Order: sequence, then structure tokens, then C-alpha cells
Amino acid sequence: MITLTHFLVVSACIFAAGLYAVLARRNAIMVLVGIELIINAAILNLVAFGRYDRGQYGGQVFALFAIVLAAAGVAVALAIILNVYQHYQSINPDDIRDLKDQ
Amino acid sequence: MPQPTLTYPLIAALTAVFLPFAGCLINALSGRKRTNSGIAIGTITGSLIAAAYVFTQVWGVAPLHIQWEWFVIGTRSFYVGLLLDNQSALMLLLVPLIAVPVHLYSVAYMKDDPGIHRYWMYLGLFCFAMMALVVADNLLLMYVCWELVGFASYLLIGFWFTKDTAAQASKKAFIVNRIGDLGFLIGMAILYAQFGTLDIRALFQGDGLVASANVVGTEWVTSVGSSMPSVWLTAAGIAFLLGAAAKSAQFPMHVWLPDAMAGPTAVSSLIHAATMVAAGVFLLARIFPLFNATTLAIMVVVGTSTAFVAAYFALAQYDIKKILAFSTISQLGFMVMGIGIGAYHVALFHLVTHAFFKCLLFLSAGAVIHEMQHLKEKNKLDIDPQDIRNMGGLRKHMPLTFVVMAVAGLALAGLPPTAGYLSKDALLVHAFEWAAVQRGVAGVVPYLLLAASGFTAFYIARLVFKVFVAPSAMATTAAAHEANKWMLMPMIFLAACSLFPLFSIHPFDVGHVWVIQGMLPLALWPAASLYHTLVPVFATLLSLSMFAIAWRWYAKGTYPLRGRGLLYRLSFHQGYVDRFYHVALVDPLLRLSRFFVTIDRLVVDGVVDGCGRIGRLFAGLAAWFDHYVVDGLVRFVGKMAFWLGNVLRRTQTGRVQYYLFTMFFIVLMVLIYQMIIQA
Repeated sequence: MITLTHFLVVSACIFAAGLYAVLARRNAIMVLVGIELIINAAILNLVAFGRYDRGQYGGQVFALFAIVLAAAGVAVALAIILNVYQHYQSINPDDIRDLKDQ
Repeated sequence: MPQPTLTYPLIAALTAVFLPFAGCLINALSGRKRTNSGIAIGTITGSLIAAAYVFTQVWGVAPLHIQWEWFVIGTRSFYVGLLLDNQSALMLLLVPLIAVPVHLYSVAYMKDDPGIHRYWMYLGLFCFAMMALVVADNLLLMYVCWELVGFASYLLIGFWFTKDTAAQASKKAFIVNRIGDLGFLIGMAILYAQFGTLDIRALFQGDGLVASANVVGTEWVTSVGSSMPSVWLTAAGIAFLLGAAAKSAQFPMHVWLPDAMAGPTAVSSLIHAATMVAAGVFLLARIFPLFNATTLAIMVVVGTSTAFVAAYFALAQYDIKKILAFSTISQLGFMVMGIGIGAYHVALFHLVTHAFFKCLLFLSAGAVIHEMQHLKEKNKLDIDPQDIRNMGGLRKHMPLTFVVMAVAGLALAGLPPTAGYLSKDALLVHAFEWAAVQRGVAGVVPYLLLAASGFTAFYIARLVFKVFVAPSAMATTAAAHEANKWMLMPMIFLAACSLFPLFSIHPFDVGHVWVIQGMLPLALWPAASLYHTLVPVFATLLSLSMFAIAWRWYAKGTYPLRGRGLLYRLSFHQGYVDRFYHVALVDPLLRLSRFFVTIDRLVVDGVVDGCGRIGRLFAGLAAWFDHYVVDGLVRFVGKMAFWLGNVLRRTQTGRVQYYLFTMFFIVLMVLIYQMIIQA
């Protein structure tokens, strides 16, 4: 049978993949994808731990909220990336290191 | 003590003293700009008026005395004050009376001199110092003024300080006077130790402390109870005599006075007449009761030898001012001798008459020199304007100068109807009377004086004849003309003062002279009427015969002597006194100074330099420590901060992912750490 541990291992794998994407990719969109992966790993954990709350379904509900928030976050982040691209002509995070206007 | 009250004569005396000083201050403050003489002449004239008022109020009346506390040392108070008695009132009048003509004369004589602003300043200071000296009521204040007189004369003698002779002469005058000042100081110290006061009145009045002190055995006991060995009485007298001898140019300390001729002639006349040299004689008369028989005898010896030797030196001089300088020394010798025999009233009288005619002689000589200087500049001649060998025949061109100088010459030679006759023959008569009651060699004194008096007549006749009567030495003297009226008027005034009516209604009898009557000493020896007629007649005849010889030799030009003899050379070189001083004192002193310079350079400087080197060594060490330790520490801290900053700077890349990784890494480390701790 599939135990909680399986969920957690999968979740950890997804988190690790997301973390790698966030830290290592040279493309802001891929970094954003990595963030999504990390959020999804967390959501997976929420759902997995949700089985200990059968009465309220708190885990599932919280997962739904998190998905919505993640979607909203992606929308905002994509907008920022678009603006960054217009500003720097690049979406490589390594190029974006100035805190002030030029 | 009660608050002193100022009466009008005292205020007038203060005014007389301080007006010249005010003039001096004003001239000093306004500096180079003030070249006109208004202030100086105005103040000295005011001073003369005030002094004349004082004189009318004080002469023949009881002395006025006022004093204020000056300062306190321990429990002893010192005072400043005025003492106006016959002596000081007479001198107070005499100084401005001589100074006013000299001031007026200087207007023309010093015209266009570049240092004229200093001139009026110094003259004011000089007159102030001398007048303050005569009215000072205690020896300390007198000493202060004594020094001031010396200082002012130093300034004036060195007035043309760019001339080497003037600079040297002023230095010489100052140094010789210092020796005398030391005497004054020592005498003052002895008196203070013995009596505990320096007040002139308390010490020297008729029944004062000095008069009431007695010599008991070998002790000098005062009425206030103190006593000291009687040798100190003699020592005090000699010390004061030394002071007076230096100031009044007594042999052998006369050397500064002939050299002092390097100053302007008007200044010479002031120094020789009323100020400076008069101070010494005045001091001796002031403190007369102090002198015991020994010091009086020394004084007679000094005075007589000065009178004789200086007159002798004057015989062969060619510089017109040098002749007059030696004549002053000789006359001062007469005065000191007069005090030595106890006739200080006559000495002071001679001081007064001498002031007028000697001032006049100098002013006339100045007029002649002035004229010669003009001729020299106009004709581009290479002559010494003061050398009488270059003059001659000036009588026709400067008749008034000739007349006044002849009057002064008669006064100096002691011929009637001049005042010089009255005072000088009185001194001679008193010398004979004094010698009559003395024993031993004292009998020589009056004859030496008589000889000096003969010399005097001869050298002054030589001067007048050579300058005015003898045939002209140079053709250019024909262009000479009479001096400016500003120079002539003071000379005529002084010539009038040199005649007898100012002093006595009787032209031949000194007993009628009011100056003498005002200052008669308490005790005199018996008068010998024989001398009173014989001596003046003989002295007059002697002078006349000297005139005749001088006339034959110089006016007629039949000079019989070779001018090579020992006596001539002795006189011409002034007895080699200067050279003796140079060899015996100046050179050894210079050698000693050079020796000390070497000591100073090797030892003292060596020690100082050594200390300096040690200091430098320590400083070097300190610098090393400072540089490498203190600075090193500071630099190390700075370098650390720089290095740390440099290291930490690397972390601030601006790359978000790097930050994130760091964050993750740190969290991971913390977790691992926690796990290790837990385990």
C-alpha cells in the first residue's frame, strides 16, 4: 500500500527538483516554474497530511487555497518578468543585479 | 604718616619736572612725522617758568619737603618725594635756563637733520631726568634719575649713531658711567645698612643722622643705635666720590667726556653745562656731611689733579670741541676740589656760572663749526670742520660770535667783569685759606690750581686767537658769514648771563653774591683778608700775561716751539690715558672675553649640544616607536577593516539565486547542527 512516507518522498523529490530549478536555472521563467514545483511539493504534503483530518478536510481545503494563491502569484510574477524583460532585454537572473534605476 | 599736602610751589616743581617728559612722550608717540620743535620748546619754556616760580618761593625760605610712599619691602617703606631747598631750587632753575637757549639754538643748528624727531625726544628726556635728579628727596630716587641722565646722554652722544666714532663714544660714556654708578649704589647700600633710610633730609640736614653719628674708637655709631666699623664711613664716602667722579668726568675717569664730543654740539653744550656732569658735583654737595677727613682729602687730590691735568691736556689739542671738553673737565676739577675743602657753596656757585659760560662757549664753537661745515660742503674741501688749524680770521666775518665767545673766554679765564671771575677766584681764595690751616703737602694744592688757572687762560686765548684773530688759514674762509639769528639770540642771552650783574651788584667781591649767601656752610675756617686781595690780583695778572703770550704766539704768528717735545706730546695725546686704558684694561678684557667665548663654545655649548643630541636620540626612539608600534597598530586595524570589507564585498553580488543558495545553505547547516546536537 501507499504510505505517508511515499507521499513525502515524492514531495521531497519535487521540492528538490524545484529548488534546483530556482537556484540553478538561467531563465526567470524556469525559476518561476521551480517556485511552482516547490509550492506543489508543499501542497502535496498538505494533501498527504490531510488524511489525519478526515472530519474537517482541512488539508484539502488549504491545498485549494494554496493552488489559487500560487496561480495568482504566477500571474503577478509573469507580469514582473515581462516588465523585467522590457527593462533589461533579458530574463537571466544573473543579469538583474541592480537595485537602482540606471 | 599724614596725607601730604601739595602746595603751589610743589605743584609748580612737579610741573617743571614733568613738562619736558610730557614733551618727550608726545614726540616719541608721534614718531617720525614730528619734525618741528614746537612741542619741545614749548614744554621746556613752561618748565622754565614753573621753575622760576618755584625759585622765587623757595630761595632763602625754609625747605619744602613732600613724600609719598612708593613701595614696601618687608616692613621697610620706600618713598618718592620732592625736596625743595636752596640747592635744588637753584639747580631746578638752572637746568631749563640753560636748556631753553640750547633748544632754540638747536632749531637752526639741527635743521634738516634726518633724525630730528629723535633729537627733541632725547632732549626732553635728558632735561626731565636732570630736573628730577635735583629735586629728588631720597638717594634711591636720585639714583634712578642718575641712571636716566646717563641713559639720555648715551642716546644723545650716539645721536649720529651711523658714525663709528659716535657709536664708540656713546658706548664709552655709558661704560665709564656704569663704574661710577656702581660706586653710587655701594655708597647707598652702606648708608641704608647703617641708618635704615635713604631720605636726604633725614640723613644730611644740619642735625641729621649723618651729622649726629660719631666715630667712637674704631666704631661708627649712629644716634639710632646701630654701629659698624668706621672704615665703612670712609668706604661710603669713597664710593659716592667714585660715582660723582665718573659722572663729573674726574681724572682718571674723564676719558668719556672728550669722546662725547661726537654728539651734536648743542648736546655737548647741554651735557657740559647744566646736565650730566653737573650731577656729580651736585651729588657731592648734597651729601657733603657724609665725608670725613680722609675722603675730603681724596676729593681735594682728585679735584686738583683733574683741574691741573685736564688744563694741561687742553693746551695742545687742535679739535675746537676737544679743547672745550678738557676745559670742562678742568673746571669740574675746580668744583670737586672746592667741595673737598668744604666750600661747597662756592663750588655750586662756580657750577652755575660755569654752566652759562661753558654753554656759551660750546654754542659759539657750534656756530663756527656749522659755518666751516658749510664752507667745506660748498667748496668740496677735504678738511675737518672742527680743526682750529683750518680756521682763522673769522672775526671779520662773524663779529657777534667773536664777541660772545670772547666774553665766555674771559669768564673761563676768570677775568672781571665776568661771573667767572667771581666764582673762580673765590675758589682760589678758599683754596689758599684752606691750605693755610693745613699741614704738609696740602700747601701745593692752591699753587697747582693757580697753574691750572694759568693754563686755562692760555688755552682759551689760543682757541679764540687761532679761530678769530690769526691770519686766515684758507682763502675760502672769506665766504664765512654770521650765524642764523636763532643761533645768535641764545648766545647773546648766555653772554649776558655770563657777566657779573646776574649774580652780584659788586663786580669784584664774591661776598655780595646772592648764590653764595643762600648756601653758606655751617662751619668755615677763618677768612684771611690778605688772600682776598692778593690772590685775585695775582690770578688776574697771570691770566693777562698768558693772554699776552698767546697773542704773541698765535695772533702774531710767532710760534716759537717745535711741537716735538715730550711735554707737548704728553699733552697732545692726552697723557696717553686712553692708550693706557686700552692696553691695561680694554685689551685684557677683550682677551678674557675671547677666552670666555672659547669656554662658552666648547664647554657650555658642548653641554647644551650634548643635551640636544641626547634629546634627539630619544626623539628618534620615540619616533620609531610611534611609527612602527602606535601607527602600526592603527594601520593594522585599518587594514583589517579593509580586508574584511573586501572579503564581505564578494558576498554582495546582487544575484538573487546566490542569496537564495546562501540562505538555503545556512538553514541546512543549522539543521545539521541541530541534528548533531540532538544526537
